[in-house]
Amino acid sequence: MLPLTWDIMVQGLSEVVKLVLLVATVVIILEALAYLILVKWLKLKNALAFMLILPALVGVAILILYPFGFNIYLAFSNMSMYRFKEFSVGLKYGIGNLLDVFRVPVLQRVTFFQLFLRTFLWTVINVVFHVLGGLFLAILLNRPMRGKAIYRTLLVVPWAIPQVIAALAWKCEFHYQYGFVNILLEKLGFQSVQWMSDPFWAFVAVVIVNIWLGIPFMMVTILGGLQSISPDYYDAAQIDGASGWQQFRFITLPLLNPILTPAIILGVIWTFNNFNVIYLVTGGGPMEGTDILVTSLYKAVFEFYRYGFGAAYSLVIFLFLLVFSMIYLRISGGFKGAWEA
Amino acid sequence: MKRVFVRMLVSMLLLAMIVPLSAFAQKKMTITLWTKEGEGEEGLGGETIYGEIVNLTKKFSQTHPGVEFEVVSYGVEDLRQNFQSAAFAGAGPDLLWTVSDHAGPFEAMKLIKPVDEVFDKAYIDKFVKPGIEAVELGGKVWGVPLNVGNHLMLIYNKNLIANPPKDTDELIKVGMELTKDLDGDGKPDQYGLVYNLNEPFFFAPWLGGFGGWPLDGTEPTLNTPAMVNALQFVQDLKFKHKIVPMECDYDAADSLFKEGKAAMIVNGDWSLSSYLTDEVKKKVDLGIARIPKVTETGLWPSPMTSGIYFMFPEYVSDDKIEVIKDFVEYVCSEEVQLMFLEAHMRLPALEEALTNPLVTNDPIIKGSSDQMVVGKPMPTVPEMRAAWDAIRPNQEAVMAGKAKPEDAAKAMQEACENLIREMKK
Repeated sequence: MLPLTWDIMVQGLSEVVKLVLLVATVVIILEALAYLILVKWLKLKNALAFMLILPALVGVAILILYPFGFNIYLAFSNMSMYRFKEFSVGLKYGIGNLLDVFRVPVLQRVTFFQLFLRTFLWTVINVVFHVLGGLFLAILLNRPMRGKAIYRTLLVVPWAIPQVIAALAWKCEFHYQYGFVNILLEKLGFQSVQWMSDPFWAFVAVVIVNIWLGIPFMMVTILGGLQSISPDYYDAAQIDGASGWQQFRFITLPLLNPILTPAIILGVIWTFNNFNVIYLVTGGGPMEGTDILVTSLYKAVFEFYRYGFGAAYSLVIFLFLLVFSMIYLRISGGFKGAWEA
Repeated sequence: MKRVFVRMLVSMLLLAMIVPLSAFAQKKMTITLWTKEGEGEEGLGGETIYGEIVNLTKKFSQTHPGVEFEVVSYGVEDLRQNFQSAAFAGAGPDLLWTVSDHAGPFEAMKLIKPVDEVFDKAYIDKFVKPGIEAVELGGKVWGVPLNVGNHLMLIYNKNLIANPPKDTDELIKVGMELTKDLDGDGKPDQYGLVYNLNEPFFFAPWLGGFGGWPLDGTEPTLNTPAMVNALQFVQDLKFKHKIVPMECDYDAADSLFKEGKAAMIVNGDWSLSSYLTDEVKKKVDLGIARIPKVTETGLWPSPMTSGIYFMFPEYVSDDKIEVIKDFVEYVCSEEVQLMFLEAHMRLPALEEALTNPLVTNDPIIKGSSDQMVVGKPMPTVPEMRAAWDAIRPNQEAVMAGKAKPEDAAKAMQEACENLIREMKK
């Protein structure tokens, strides 16, 4: 292995410094232009506000809007391995690609609808356990007790470990003969499970890993929400003789809503699009039994070079999530406070 | 105040223009090399292959002042994907150090130059024929071979088994004797044979041994009696004869063998040097043989052979290509090839180097090259990708006892045909 020498460190740092300088230069030029146009020429009243958000706006445009636009462009192309550089773009290709998403198997065995159902199950199971587990732990932590900081730190560990390392470690723990999970099952008197050969158990395995990984985020978020609820409400409720459950149902839950709504939306989107855990633990196998929409999208594009098809496919996934978020926001009213305030 | 601001601005702009200009003034050339070699296993000299590459580039820079290298290591799949993305944008590495099967897709996408445009025929003829044939597509050669081989073989531990089995009947017989429950918990903790059970690449030798092959040209030939028999054979190894572990991926097989808990392993030439380290030698006395002959057919199993190649991105400028050419000739020289052989057990691709006593006198290297002669080149055509992905889930199903070999073979063929159709759309 190459030793980490001063040379390498200095070289690495100088790259960082160069980039920072470049970004700073671009920002200064942008701001100077904005100053000349907005303040000197147009004499706008809100010029400062525009100048302040301008760098972020440009960043978003470059990093999100442009790739998104390019994705739509590709969705209307026939780009593939044999037409990698000289592909054509047209409405008929776009329609063909979109129809193909629903018409032909996305992988070999599974069709779009099977994958969609599995992704739906995967998302619901995970998010339900994330929220329930997070809520449970947060309520346990949100009361005076000794060693709270230690518990809190320990419980955040799964979140603090890089996902790749956690997932690969779990993969080994599910090994038939030498994995911790089967050893534990045997000690408890159960049969060993072929976690990596049986599609059902492989799905259970990835769900377990993802639940383990996802609970800390919900716990921390909900704990923050719980701590912001004034104790006065509970005092008043206790004077009125409300039970513990009633306090939870009529004080805690409603006041947590503004925190829970964005957390759940984020949770759903992250889980729906969770590529790492599945790819690293099972790679979508065995027998495509743990593939969800995004992992099959990855395979279609990067293993079968179906770029046009893949771009259309990713648009479909995006639309699903967009519609979900809009419906959920409407029903829960979670962002109402933010708009009305 | 305003004047200060304007002055600052002007000086900043000037500074921004000067910085890139000074970079041109020095007349340096940086060659970016992407390699599939990782920092993983150390060879006998205590250096990883990645480390060797960096050392080679440094030595080369000494004789070529002003030329600097940036060596970037990727996993095999990452290298392919990242190169595709980079080349699509018209940027990326100046030289690739990768596996032969990348030649197929890169050629189809028109991302690499044919070697005939860079080197003359006399130079290409210096390499062994199978090494060149593996990357020949459409009448042109698409890579310069660094090493040939990359083939699987039977590696055994002489502490557990004195003589390797000659045919599959014997393999099963000794395999059953060597699969033992040593601590009496009702589960074997020593195995007769281990290998990456669910990986199609490790299944290919058996397929060849039963007389089949995944592709005929570009046509899939997966639903064949050979395929059915080969699938039945590997399924029986697990469920009937029970000489392999219930679940066994690459790492599990490798660890079991290194710990002396498996008598035989099917693994590739890339793994050999890691079985010769002092640590492993305490438990493993290494022996190499051909994968045993299939008794039913009398054929030797044919592992897929390929190799590691230099490939040349099509966008690289001519002045860079001249320097790259020198570098490639340096790395493919007999001296460097023999260094790779000694330290990392990689068979040289130069015809001349193969006659060196280092190759002919070493029992392990001789065993490896003896296996290679019965190997078959891995198809480089892009259709092979479809075949891999069609075989994998069905092989998994067979190895989980969830599918009959007949049904799996049929499903493979169907899936492969579909995949090829979608790829060509």
